[in-house]
Amino acid sequence: MSNFRSAQDKAHPNKSSTLMLAIITLLILIVALQIWLLYTGLNNALTQHADVALIACIVSVLLFVAAVGLLYFLPGKRR
Amino acid sequence: MEQQQETVPDWKTDFPYSTVETLQVTRRQFAKFLCLVSGGLAAGSALVAIKSAFFPEKEVTGEHFVCNRTALPVGGTRSFTIAGSTIPYILIHLENGEFKAYEQKCTHLSCAVFYQAGTNKIMCPCHNGWFDAATGEAIQGPPPRPLPSLQVIVKGDEIYVTGHPKNS
Ligand code: FES
Repeated sequence: MSNFRSAQDKAHPNKSSTLMLAIITLLILIVALQIWLLYTGLNNALTQHADVALIACIVSVLLFVAAVGLLYFLPGKRR
Repeated sequence: MEQQQETVPDWKTDFPYSTVETLQVTRRQFAKFLCLVSGGLAAGSALVAIKSAFFPEKEVTGEHFVCNRTALPVGGTRSFTIAGSTIPYILIHLENGEFKAYEQKCTHLSCAVFYQAGTNKIMCPCHNGWFDAATGEAIQGPPPRPLPSLQVIVKGDEIYVTGHPKNS
């Protein structure tokens, strides 16, 4: 049976390398956004704006889910 | 003797490992680590949101006597705490005659802040942060938030402070 994984495993190493770099770039972007969200949420929570902290939390969790989802596309180990 | 040295020791066949694998981080591992960091940050945000939604800071209630009006000349300041709490506050007699009370805790890293007489500014010596003495607004330097303030009530010769009425 042919699926996404087996096709990916057959791809040229250059292709999987590019994909790997793209995923890592996206992950770093996500983490940077989350650091900013945490900082903003904390500052607003300390000025009694709990609503901003709540939205920052929701977005941060969504970004985490996206990050975990990205892991699915990681190319497999070299054999 | 030489033959003995060349044979692979038993523990290596029992626990085979590759030097490269133990010394280098693969891009797969790095990506997974970034995910872990991402999860940690999401958890941190969640903690902040839960703390601020369900366990907010206690508001100052009731009026608290600080000092007599005559004890505080224009440009003078007085540190005080409120009974039942350890937060340091500072009462300032501004040059325009107004009284202001702020938390004496920089919003950057909690250093004690001081009023600079004549400049209308409150200064934090730790990292050169400045606040507007009239509003508590952060005007320069690293402090990210305004200084939390108390409401000042002058009754004849006596000065009292109280929390701000809830703005709902
Ligand atoms: S602690 Fe006040 S500026 Fe850093």
